[in-house]
Parts: sequence; C-alpha cells; structure tokens
Amino acid sequence: MSLSKAEANPHRLIVAQDVRNFCIIAHIDHGKTTLSDRLLEVTKTVHSREMEEQLLDAMDLERERGITIKMHPVTLGYKADDGQLYRLNLIDTPGHVDFSYEVSRSLAACEGALLIIDAAQGIEAQTLANYHLALEHDLTIIPVINKIDLPAADPERVMREVEELLVIEKRDCILASAKNGIGIDEILEAIVHRIPPPKGHNDHLRALVFNAQFDPYRGVVSYVRVVDGELKAGTKFMSMAHQHVYECTEVGVFTPAMRATERISLGNTGYVIANIKSLGDIDVGDTLTSPGNPAHVPLPGYRKAVPMVYCGLYPNEGAAYDDLRDALEKLKLNDAALVYEPETSIALGFGFRCGFLGLLHMEIVQERLERDYSLDLIATSPSVVFRVTRTDGSVEMIDNPSKLPASNLIRSIEEPYVKATIITPPDYVGAIMDLTQTRRGMLGNMEYLHDGRVILTYEMPLIEVIVDFFDQLKSRTKGYASLDYEVVGYREGDLVKLEILLNAEPVDALSFIVARDKAASRGRALAEKLKELIPRQMFEVPIQAAIGGKVVARETVSAQRKNVLAKCYGGDITRKRKLLEKQKAGKERMKRVGRVELPQEAFMAVLKLGD
Amino acid sequence: MHGIYVHLPFCPYVCPYCDFAKWPLRPSAASAYLDALVREITQTPGVNAQTIFFGGGTPNAYAATTIASLVTTLRARFPHPQGRAHEISVEVNPELVEAGDFDVYAAAGVTRISIGVQSFVDDEIAVLGRKHTSEQVEQVVKMARAAGIASVSIDLIFAVPGQTRATWGQSLARAIELNVDHISTYGLTVEEGTPFWEWHRREPARFLDQDREAELYAEAIERLGGAGFEQYEISNFARSGHECAHNRNYWENGEYLGFGVGAASYREGERSVHTRSLADYIEAVSSGRPIPGDSERLSGIRKAGEAIMLALRTTSGVNLTGFRERYGVDVTSRYRSVIEEFVDAGLLECEGDRMRLSIKGRFVANDVCEAFIACE
Repeated sequence: MSLSKAEANPHRLIVAQDVRNFCIIAHIDHGKTTLSDRLLEVTKTVHSREMEEQLLDAMDLERERGITIKMHPVTLGYKADDGQLYRLNLIDTPGHVDFSYEVSRSLAACEGALLIIDAAQGIEAQTLANYHLALEHDLTIIPVINKIDLPAADPERVMREVEELLVIEKRDCILASAKNGIGIDEILEAIVHRIPPPKGHNDHLRALVFNAQFDPYRGVVSYVRVVDGELKAGTKFMSMAHQHVYECTEVGVFTPAMRATERISLGNTGYVIANIKSLGDIDVGDTLTSPGNPAHVPLPGYRKAVPMVYCGLYPNEGAAYDDLRDALEKLKLNDAALVYEPETSIALGFGFRCGFLGLLHMEIVQERLERDYSLDLIATSPSVVFRVTRTDGSVEMIDNPSKLPASNLIRSIEEPYVKATIITPPDYVGAIMDLTQTRRGMLGNMEYLHDGRVILTYEMPLIEVIVDFFDQLKSRTKGYASLDYEVVGYREGDLVKLEILLNAEPVDALSFIVARDKAASRGRALAEKLKELIPRQMFEVPIQAAIGGKVVARETVSAQRKNVLAKCYGGDITRKRKLLEKQKAGKERMKRVGRVELPQEAFMAVLKLGD
Repeated sequence: MHGIYVHLPFCPYVCPYCDFAKWPLRPSAASAYLDALVREITQTPGVNAQTIFFGGGTPNAYAATTIASLVTTLRARFPHPQGRAHEISVEVNPELVEAGDFDVYAAAGVTRISIGVQSFVDDEIAVLGRKHTSEQVEQVVKMARAAGIASVSIDLIFAVPGQTRATWGQSLARAIELNVDHISTYGLTVEEGTPFWEWHRREPARFLDQDREAELYAEAIERLGGAGFEQYEISNFARSGHECAHNRNYWENGEYLGFGVGAASYREGERSVHTRSLADYIEAVSSGRPIPGDSERLSGIRKAGEAIMLALRTTSGVNLTGFRERYGVDVTSRYRSVIEEFVDAGLLECEGDRMRLSIKGRFVANDVCEAFIACE
C-alpha cells in the first residue's frame, strides 16, 4: 500500500487493502489455541520446532488451567489463492469472563472474528457471550465448526444451532479439524475474502492500546492497533486518558517475537516502547495520538478497569508484611487491574485489601504471590463492593464486610447484579433451578436448542456467583452446564452483616454480608464448618454466629483431651522429637486470634458451605 | 555410659499395629543376624553400664540359651561401674515362653521380664493380631516368679478398636490380680505403613476418638494408682523400687548404646540410629564397614528443649537447678510465657525446684512438650 496520495490529501478515507485484523473467539476447550498454532504453522510464521519452544515459554498458570490469560498477538504473512500477499494480524483474546473488558478492547482492534465451535459440544455459554460481544463491535464473523474428526462430532446439528441461535447461514460455516489440519486453507481464504480491510483517515494519529505488558528492561510494551495515521519510531505521542507525552523509542511487529520496524502504518497492529515506567501510566483502551496534531476525540470504549471482587491478603507471619507489599508492587507493574491498599484486621494484623476483576483473577494473583514470591498467605473470603446509603443520605462503597456501618445507621444497601447465561442438557434444569433459587437468582428467559439443550438466563447477585457457584453448577450438572455472566448494575437488597465470634470475641476477618432471610442458615452452616476446621485447643472454644448482636448459631470445639506419644521407640529420641517438631510447625502455620489457633482454611470457610 | 540396648527383630508373626524394625522369623536370617549382632558388640570398645535391655521384635523368638549367652557377653564387655548386678530386662511374647526358659535367663543374670500381653480380652487380642490366651500369661508370670526374676512387668494397650471402658477395666484388673511389679499402658498409635494405618483410612469410625481414649487413660491412672502402682512416667506404673532403670535413663537424657538393626544410641552428645534395613546392617557389620544410619548433634536451646520434652514425661518432671547446671538454661525465665500459659490452663505445675505435668497435663503431653521444642 502506498500512502503518497493520502499524505497529499489527509481527509481521504484510506483502505489498507492488504491487511486483515482478526481474532479467534471460543468457549473454553473448543480448540482456539490449536487453531492459532495451526495458522502460524501453515503460514510458516513459525516452524513446528519453534512452536514447541513457544509453548514452553508460556506461563505455567495458563498451561495448567488451559486458559489464555495474557494475549499474544502475531502477524502472519499469507499468499492467497488470488496471488496477493496479505498481512494477517491475529489478535488473541483472554478466555475468561473476568477479563471481558480486555476482550472487548481486543475485539475493537479487529474487523473480523473466527468463532470456533466444538463439533461435538455445540454452542456453549461463552460461545454466545463472545458472539454477542463480536456483534456489538460490528465484526464480520466466520463460524468454524472445529474437531469434526471426533467420533462424537455432529457438524450438522451444530450448524443448525448456528443458524438458529447466531442467525448465520449454514453455508457460511467452515468445517475444520485444527488438530488434523482440515479446513485451514479455507479459513485463511475466508479471512482474506470475508473480513473487510481496515479503513482510516490520515489527518491525525489515533492508535488503540488493546493490551500492555511490563518488561523489566524496557518498561511498558503497549500493543496497539493504528486506526488513523501512523506511528513512527523516534516521534512523540500522547496518551489521551492520562494526557502524558512520551517519546516513542521503538515500534515493531510480533512475528511472534518482537521485531522492530520503522513504523506501524494505518490499519496495522504492532507494539510501541516509549520508556513508560509503569502499567499504571497507560491503560488498556487508551488512545495514543500525536501531541503536535492531536485527534479531537479518542477512540470509543475506554474505561478504567474496575475491580469487582475484593479480599484481604495477610502474611501468615507478621514479619512478611514488607515482602507482601513488595510482591504486590511488582505484580501491579504487570497487572494494571490489580488494586490494593493497606488494611488492618484485629484478627490478622497488617495486610492488604486487594481488588480483582473477578474470582479467577483473584486466584491467579494469590497463586502467583505464593508460588513466585514464596509467600505464606491468609486470604479472607471474597466480597463484592456494596453501595451503602446512610440514614443521613451519604453514600459509601464498602468492599470489606467488617467496615459496614451499624444497621441503625444504614438506610439501604445495594449490591452488584449479573446477568448469567447457563446452557445445559435438559436433565439438569431442575438441579440448576434449585441452585439458582438458593442463590437469589431470578429466571429471565428459557430457550430450547435443537438438540434439547436449554439456555437459561438469570439475574442474580454477583456475591452469589463468586461464592462457590461455578463449582456447584458443575457438580450438579456432572460438568455439562456452561456459564457466562456480565455485571448489569446495582440493585437494592435486604442484606445484613453476619458476625462470627470465637471465644466470645468477634473475628472481623470472618464476618460477611448476606441476605437477611438466608443469614441464620448460613450462620449455622458456617459455625458447623468452622467446628470441623478448627483443631481442638487446650480449652473449649465456643463458636457463635450473630446478626446485629443476636446469636443465631452456636457450636463448640471441645478441648484437647488426649495427645501424647505413648512410646519411646527403643530410645529413638530423635524420631520422637521430630514428631513434635512437625506438630509444632503445623501449629505455627495457624493464625492466633485471641487465644484461638485458626488454620488458614478457616478464613475461606464461607466458600465451602455448599447449598 | 548408662544403658545397653540390644535389638532382636524377629517375630513368629508380625502384629498389624507394630512399626518397629521387625521381620517374620526365618531361621537362616535369625542366625545371620545373631552373628552380625555379636560381631558388632565385640567390635565395640567396652565401657561401664548399669542396665541392659533386650527389645524387639520378639527377643524370645531366640532360644533362652542364646539370650543367656548374649547376656554373658554383654555383662563381661560392659561391667557395672560399681561392680553391682546390672538391671537386665528381656521383652517376651507369652506364647513363646517354654518351661525352663526363665531359669536359664535368671542364671545368666536377667532381673526383669517384660511380657507383651496387650490385652486380657480375647476379642481385643484377636484384633491386635496376637495369639496368646490369658491363661498362658498367668503361667508365664508364675514361671518368672518361680525362677526368681526380681521384676515382672506387663504391657497393655488401650484404645484398641472395639475396646470399652468395661473391657479395659477387665484387662487392668487382671494385671493387678496377677500381682506383677510393673505395668506399662500404651495408647494405640496408628503408624503409617502398618496394616492398621490402612484400616484406619478405610474405617476410621472403628477406632476410638480422643475423648474415649482419654477416658481409658484416666481409668488406668485411677485403677493402677488405687492398686498401689505409682505412675512414674506417662505410660509407666510401678510398685516401689520396680521402676525400669533402663527406660528412666532415656527420660533423664542419659547416654546409652544400641546394638542391632534400627538401634538408637546417645553418646557424647551425638544421637545416632542404625539403618532399619536388615540386609544393609548384616552386610556392613560382616564386611567390617561402618553401619549406615543417621546421626545428629543438638546444641544450645534445641538440646535443652529435647531434654525438657524427655523430663516432662516423668512424674518427677524437670529439676530446675539441675537443669540450669547441666544445660546452662534457666527454664523459668527462658520459657516464662509458655509456662505461665500452661500453669494457668492447669497442665503444668511448678513447685519449688520442680516443674512437672499435672495429671491433666499427662493427657496432652505433646501439646505441652511441643512448646518447649525449638525447631530448626
């Protein structure tokens, strides 16, 4: 593509004819990664030997959980059947609902999407969610029925589902097996012929930041899609969200390794390095423009990442507080969505209140702190952010149940709600209705698919979804149901704080906010669970659950009655001492609250109550 | 040197709860082992000792004459420092005792017999995988008395699956009736790697919980105390003058030498234990190489903590002045908060120069001792 005419006439609409920007979207395990790998291989972007190395470089957590957390864009060179050489920019998307904002920014960087559907499993909850998201971004959608080689594959049925649910004609579906290399050429041709080339103007620079990573040596590496104008190494640019100006030290493309180029021209994707010190200085969704000739309006869709789930993280030993702070600081460099601030708990001492995009994000951060930074952590049970209106009319956001004002000072409490979509075989509809009912879910819609499966749409409180909902759903449907949800706003609820007292002392880190009509039964269940989890102590430990000072449940952990090593093992004193050392080490991992030794699991007990 | 321990690891059959170093009796292995054992003993430089203890396994799986000749060898090599008679104990399985055995023992100098009875209730004997009858035990006690063995002891186990307060009472009563000098009561410990461990994993409900176990232990303390046995250690009760000096030495943190597979020694500040592999033991001794095993040397507060752990097992507890002189640690100031807490909880008693477990404390000795242990 030549830009000479465009430079002469900056207002003309320019079409980058040889460029296609696309992403791959799918329900988990429908074969997104395999297809990406196959596309890289067929276009000779990487050789199979390198593929393996690339796989080895991927983060442990991603491989273990089978999901993509970080996005890896890559540019493929493809010579199409029409003899033309095309530049195909594949923009990967994270595969989890926690990261839906990041997904939306990646979609905004594309003109088209490959929608992968498993030929045996058919359309699942995330397929629908991704499809709707892609439609919102006006993307051209190419449905790919994958895994047609499987014995259980039923492409005909899945194509009918596509027609019915996605309103896409059957003949537009591509039948493929990424594993066996079937349908790959057809997919590449469809990308070239069905997805429109990017268009833009050349009067101002506008580049969308769709992802950013922190490199300890080079600072922030921003992944950008240039919508208007072009981005050149050595020039200045400005972040429109932060109004900061940076000098661009390097631009380039992902091959998939980073390769420096002179520029990223209109319609293309690539990376920008500009001596940006922290991910807090540039946001996903930000628009980069030229400070000398700034765009009038930023690209649409930008918002600050808002944490939805909070929990307290405390070092098991007080001395590790500084280590925890340092580790959070380092993680934050590469995870702009993580927020934290110091907090003090009577029970747990000094720690941090941390906010996450969702439960998975929370688990990832915890795991990373424990694994990569060798921290021994206590996490309190997760909470959402409640909007509390006091009787005097003032409003505050409460992300920690122990901070809830006394009930006589509260006029109303609102909580975040989600719209949850569940797709299930019909046999489990009853089980799901039971579960959602105990979770305060309100059924919105019920729709039947050709194969008999049912789509259920609910509105329910986010707190009910984050506390053990997914595991319960999976176990009640033998793993068949799929779930997706999006936050839809705040609703008022009849909510109360449930307090737990051990030895008659309230334990702040164990309190939680719950619907009034469920409070007593949750209190009883939690007291019972704590009785199971708290080991016997030298004295009796009463456990009480109370609402507004009124005790609703009581259990007692009996005092330790017998714990003694009977024998001397023929004088093997060392062995005896080591047994005691082991016992002592076990106790030292516990947290002392007042006189009571609490195991770490006690603080997460509320997650394990069942329904 | 205070004590000599000799491990005789063979058993006619293996009990499902036992995790000591032991093997089913095979004559060839027993003979090879005996050769190695004698060789180990005779290669060790002689020192003075006051007690000799044959433990197992089942020592009397070997012939009485074999035990007697080992006793003779040991007495000569490890003479009593004051030229007095050693306390010499032999653990026996009652069903293997034959007429005349104890005369042979006594003639060699054995002073103490410890009978592995475990229970006098048939169902419990069966659960424990043992094969003797109460009548046999009665006979064995009589034989020991007739042979002039000075101290006769009985081992009992409580918290056996199926045991009740009533059946445990029967076993205690029977032991008292037999008019023995010493009774050990051991709470059943389910050890990893034993058939009981697997059983416990499958059917935990068959095993006694700690509340019931505590009741049985309380029963033992009460009954045996009432019958004139003084509790001198967590698991041990004796009539006056019949405490086991060999075991007492362990709790006083004294030195001892152990011979045989898996045997433990404590000498010049070093604790060591021989390999628990029979083949490795025999192989090393017969080829004159050092016996493989583990050893450690504690110092400072770790050594003191271990000494407190041991002393607290005895009803005389820790002698505070003696402790300060021996270990250079002032227990009351070093462990002030720990001691205060346990005294408040009624588990520990401090009286003059003594710190000891209360009766209540004996039930939870691990929790108390653990607080004095310093981990690495």
